[in-house]
Amino acid sequence: MTITLAGRTVQVGPRSAVRTLRGEVRAMSWSLRLWLLALMGLMAVGAVGALLAIPAGDEVFGTTPTVEWGLLIAAYVLFVVTTSGLCLVSSLGTVFGIEAFAPVARRAVVMAALCLMAGFGIIALDLHWPLRLLFGVVLSPSPLSPMWWMGTVYGIYLVFLIIELVGMFGGWHRIARLGGSLALVTAIVAPSTLGAVFGVLVVRPAWHGPFMPAYLLATAVLSGAAMLALLYALVARFSLRGHGPASERALTAIGRLLAAAVGAGIFLTAWQMIVGLYGGEPGSSEAAQAQLTGPLALQWWVVRVIIGLLIPFVLLVVPRLRTRAGIGIAGALVLVGLVADRSGFVMAGQIAPATSASGVVSDPWAVYTPSLVEVSIVVGAAALVAFLYTLAERYLDLTEPVAEHPAGSVAGSEVAPARAPADARGVA
Amino acid sequence: MTALSRRELLAAGVLAVPCLAGAQTLIGRALASDPTKAAGTEAETAYDPKAHEWGFVVDTRNCIGCGLCVEACKDENHVPRDPELNRTWVERHTQLPDGTLLVEAPEAGGAGFPVDPVTLAPMAGPKGDSAFVPRLCMQCDNPPCVSICPVSATYKTPDGVVLVDQERCIGCGYCVVSCPYGARYIVPSGGDSPTGNAGVADKCTFCYHRITKGAQPACVQVCPTRARNFGDMNDPLSPVSILIRDEQTVTLRPEVGTKPRVRYIGLPSQEL
Repeated sequence: MTITLAGRTVQVGPRSAVRTLRGEVRAMSWSLRLWLLALMGLMAVGAVGALLAIPAGDEVFGTTPTVEWGLLIAAYVLFVVTTSGLCLVSSLGTVFGIEAFAPVARRAVVMAALCLMAGFGIIALDLHWPLRLLFGVVLSPSPLSPMWWMGTVYGIYLVFLIIELVGMFGGWHRIARLGGSLALVTAIVAPSTLGAVFGVLVVRPAWHGPFMPAYLLATAVLSGAAMLALLYALVARFSLRGHGPASERALTAIGRLLAAAVGAGIFLTAWQMIVGLYGGEPGSSEAAQAQLTGPLALQWWVVRVIIGLLIPFVLLVVPRLRTRAGIGIAGALVLVGLVADRSGFVMAGQIAPATSASGVVSDPWAVYTPSLVEVSIVVGAAALVAFLYTLAERYLDLTEPVAEHPAGSVAGSEVAPARAPADARGVA
Repeated sequence: MTALSRRELLAAGVLAVPCLAGAQTLIGRALASDPTKAAGTEAETAYDPKAHEWGFVVDTRNCIGCGLCVEACKDENHVPRDPELNRTWVERHTQLPDGTLLVEAPEAGGAGFPVDPVTLAPMAGPKGDSAFVPRLCMQCDNPPCVSICPVSATYKTPDGVVLVDQERCIGCGYCVVSCPYGARYIVPSGGDSPTGNAGVADKCTFCYHRITKGAQPACVQVCPTRARNFGDMNDPLSPVSILIRDEQTVTLRPEVGTKPRVRYIGLPSQEL
């Protein structure tokens, strides 16, 4: 059996696949092999965790009725909001015509699709009956539930992203444009519906209100810009395909956008805490205190504020530090900070137990420690995203076609053994 | 070539069988299940949910914290034995000298209470008011758990009880997080389970299987002091109607707008 890939005829069969795979591994540098091997190790750990989490009702998570939502919900929020952010940032070039952002479209969309799939995978493992959700959303829709809207919008979003990807790598520009525009609309709607999932809960004052949808949308830009800053710093560092003046300009522009987003993040975080402390509203002030001086303080001050916001802000605004490496490190630190941000905000809503009247002194703080299964699933998902993205970097053309797109089609060839010859692609 | 197609066929088959099986059961259930019949059997066809409006009054002045209700509920409904997972539990609310309120429920209150508060060192000075406060699902008239369920697995019956269709529940925990009263939990596998399902949300149903046959909820029947009272609010002579008419009753957390069907008498003054 043969298929045609990028104008080359490729043998597909067990034996030839092994042969091609061996050839591909031989062609890799040692550091790349080591990187992929490490990721595969982490993916294997994640796979064990995932298998343990599949049977419905098995108590493999650290969650309790008091803290029903744990690390997996936080990781889901992190991944799917990053997806939105990547689409929003890349739309600056593709939809709003800002020249400096033009080169980022493909990398952004590939990473967005991977992050969205990781998010879906994590939430499927968090749910006890994920298949029932799949059918329930369609067969018994419940439009009063923000979670129904969130599931529906993110599902549609994935379809639009796939259309955009197929159009992009198939060379169908109009389909890519259409998919891109539709994906942008859903990229804006989706995190706001996710924010509404938390925002409608009257009994969780730390989440309740219109702040959450807006906050998730604002931090979507933060996480999308941070991810692209990291990616483009790596493109420059390893001189990956498409590295040149255009990608350098893109990195500078991403750095500026990231600086603004970090600044906005500092403001939002500060006001969230200050408003929370005012008035001593039960639940709301407890959440603020838990993060400022209570059990979440270490995570909040060190990871979320210092590592995730202040150091990146300094790296991005001091001209001497605003180098390629500086912007890349800032992006990585912001992503680390966002892990603490998401898990902190999921915890903050539940930290004041709702089971009893206010003023409880017996259990002032709810306790939750993620289980090893939860940690391994999140680490495995992140490794999977990094692994597939590395392969995409190597085997797909992630540069924007400058003038004319070459005829070669590599749609869906992430797992295909054939490597498109680099010199035949539209490298600037 | 043939080996390859066999491989492909195998892979497709391995994927298709569980998918089709899952789809079939789910579609079948979605089409067959009528929410109002989920908790019923043929024997109850005579029961008319529209003819009743169930109510519950907890008289904390009578409660002695014996915990029989907690045990009766676990036995009757096959609730998991884990003291963190309950359809009903009993708390002791004690007003401390400094004005704060101590809330404690050792073993969910199912084994009674020690004389001194268990979570604090023995206190110096006089204790303030204290009361045992039995807790259960409030069967809210405006239940947050119903509107937020993404697959409509939680619903309100015409007679005013909030139920969970555990064949439809996906176990997302949104209702657990949304409940102001901590009335819900996710059923773990490998132990007692009210409907034999694991990984689904569960909560007090007012013993719906009993009340639709004319019996009292298990916790009400076993209560030795009439701290728990149950009845039809449409019937002016039912115990709950009389208590609501004659006594001052309050609901828990009225500020969240849930309009509970469970009312309380005699809570410590600080909580009102």
